[in-house]
Amino acid sequence: MSKFWRIALHEYTRHVFRRRFLLALFSVPLLMVFMVVLIIVIIRLESNPTPIGYIDQSGLLANAIAQPAPKWPERFVPMTAYPDEASAKADLEAGKLQGYYIIHEDYLQSGVADQVFLKEINGMAVQQFDSFLTTNLLSDRPAEITNRIVNGSNIVVQSVDKSREASKDNFINILLPILAGVLFIVGMSTSSGYLMQTVVEEKENRTMEIMVTSVSPGQLMSGKVIADIAIGATQLLVWALFIILALVIGKSYFPFLGGLKFPGEMVGVIIAVMVPAFIMISGLMAAVGATVSEASEGQQIMGLFTIPIWLPYIFIMLFIENPNSPLAIALSFFPLTAPMSIALRIGFTTIPAWQVIVCVSILVLSAIGAVWLAGRAFRLGMLRYGQRLRWAEIFSRQRV
Amino acid sequence: MPTVELSHITKSFGSLKAVDDVSFDVEKGEIFGLLGPNGAGKTTAIRVLLDIFKPDDGRVSILGGAMTEAKKDHIGYMPEERGLYQDIPLDRCLVYLGTLKGLSQAEAQSRIARYLDRFDLESSRRKKVKELSKGMQQKAQLITTLVHEPDLVIIDEPFSGLDPINTQMVKDLLREQRDKGVTILMSTHQMHQVEELCDRIVLIDHGRTLLYGGLEDIRRQFSGHAVIVRTPNILPTLPGVEHVEQHNSSAHRLNLAPSTNTQDVLRMLVERGIQVDQFEIATPTLDEIFINVVQKYDQETGER
Repeated sequence: MSKFWRIALHEYTRHVFRRRFLLALFSVPLLMVFMVVLIIVIIRLESNPTPIGYIDQSGLLANAIAQPAPKWPERFVPMTAYPDEASAKADLEAGKLQGYYIIHEDYLQSGVADQVFLKEINGMAVQQFDSFLTTNLLSDRPAEITNRIVNGSNIVVQSVDKSREASKDNFINILLPILAGVLFIVGMSTSSGYLMQTVVEEKENRTMEIMVTSVSPGQLMSGKVIADIAIGATQLLVWALFIILALVIGKSYFPFLGGLKFPGEMVGVIIAVMVPAFIMISGLMAAVGATVSEASEGQQIMGLFTIPIWLPYIFIMLFIENPNSPLAIALSFFPLTAPMSIALRIGFTTIPAWQVIVCVSILVLSAIGAVWLAGRAFRLGMLRYGQRLRWAEIFSRQRV
Repeated sequence: MPTVELSHITKSFGSLKAVDDVSFDVEKGEIFGLLGPNGAGKTTAIRVLLDIFKPDDGRVSILGGAMTEAKKDHIGYMPEERGLYQDIPLDRCLVYLGTLKGLSQAEAQSRIARYLDRFDLESSRRKKVKELSKGMQQKAQLITTLVHEPDLVIIDEPFSGLDPINTQMVKDLLREQRDKGVTILMSTHQMHQVEELCDRIVLIDHGRTLLYGGLEDIRRQFSGHAVIVRTPNILPTLPGVEHVEQHNSSAHRLNLAPSTNTQDVLRMLVERGIQVDQFEIATPTLDEIFINVVQKYDQETGER
């Protein structure tokens, strides 16, 4: 095994099996699981299975059938018929009902029904009563008409070249690239943070001197950058697996998740943008690690890079309203803002091929530049103990 | 051909000239001492020699030419500021650093097991490096320096932090390496260790060479015209002796006039019935030479 791979393997295993990394790795999926459990618990607690009463003055519910069972974890609310309001009111006051409806005689013409409660009936129970009414009013219609009326229209908006479409059933596809972009950036920021930390640590504990008399600075840096990318990829893979698992499970409860598609073109553009962006950020973080003398100082400088990376997110409304505005295009061509800009735009528009090519080219050049910068900063700053390397020195003509 | 050749090396950091026209050779199979006060430029000279820093001027030849990546596997380096990964187990750290010196994983593991045993670190192999004492870390660092059986060992302050038993062990180890033909360049402040181990030395101060050559030649060069006499009697006034000073609690140093022969002094002492327990030509210790040379240079240049 070459020294370069040994360094990459050492750095990778050293970080991936650290408690801190495992905690960060599983904290995101665990947070998701926690959120889902929390939502289930809230729905369960919110949904009140106490019956709802109704006084049918219209005669439409003479042979009433029960509404369809709601999706788990929402609980079923039985609907109880009362001959008059007095008996319904007595049960309401006795706590046997959470409320009752009076369906007026001319309901079909006026659509008027009164809702009576002591404590407001929650939305889920109201929806179940609506479902109960709809089911009974449409009981004599063919199933397809019933479904059509219940589900409403599904307007599909297509791009002129028909390569892209959006509709109520697959709106998640618009959000998917944003989610992918956010995950990518979180993943690359955290793993690049580790890279910076290892460089600073090696300076702090003086391992650097041993390293550079065993391997070339180029081997050392490239081994570290490869390990960094592998750490980031591990993080993204684990998160992606959890998300896919969540989607597979979630599909049976949330029909809109069924329309989820991963168009090859979109995936291709995101990967083409994110990979050089990842190398660029790794290079910058390594350069920061080489210039500073303490990890805390590095964290502060890292913050300066984080702001432009997340900047397009601040303008998210502008991106949604006009994904091809001059601002959105300009931010797609600036190396640090490009990854997030592309992720925000691609869900809402077809980015012209020339813009993708320019953006990827800028990012590839920036990645090469960042790695060069890291190498130079590293050679100049690797043995500066307790003294920060000035950026002017990196760009000076000093021989390294 | 010398193993190491430094020829007119100059290296500056901004306005500070850390090394100024320094030259020396280290011959194959010798223990060579690189000496100098703090901030003299020793570490910078070592870093230039190891190609960590590029010199502004001058030429370096190591193991027969310019430094290459392949040559790094034949050099063992122990820096003054010890550097081991602190948060991983000792054996993992040593095996990793061994493999970066060109050893296979299996070879590194077996050699390190032998060294851990020899250095009495076997029971600490699973401990994190940061949990080890300073002396133990020092020994671990030595293992890293020697495990790949280098042809050239460059070692900065090898005895700092070691107790007398471990100091003796390291001295034996260095002699053993020299006997195997390994070239050793040692930088230290401990002059008695240099006197015991080194064949030749270079002394630098403020980046400049002040002394360079064989240890015995240098001592001879600095020996004054004096004798050390240990006697329980009171010393009489002797012709040809310019003045007498206390050398230590039981011995005197007799500084002689240029025309006085040391054998005449011994004869006069015997003739006067003085009991001579010790009589030797006074040669300065390396400590004395070091202090004299450095102070003289500093006074001349007004540097300190």
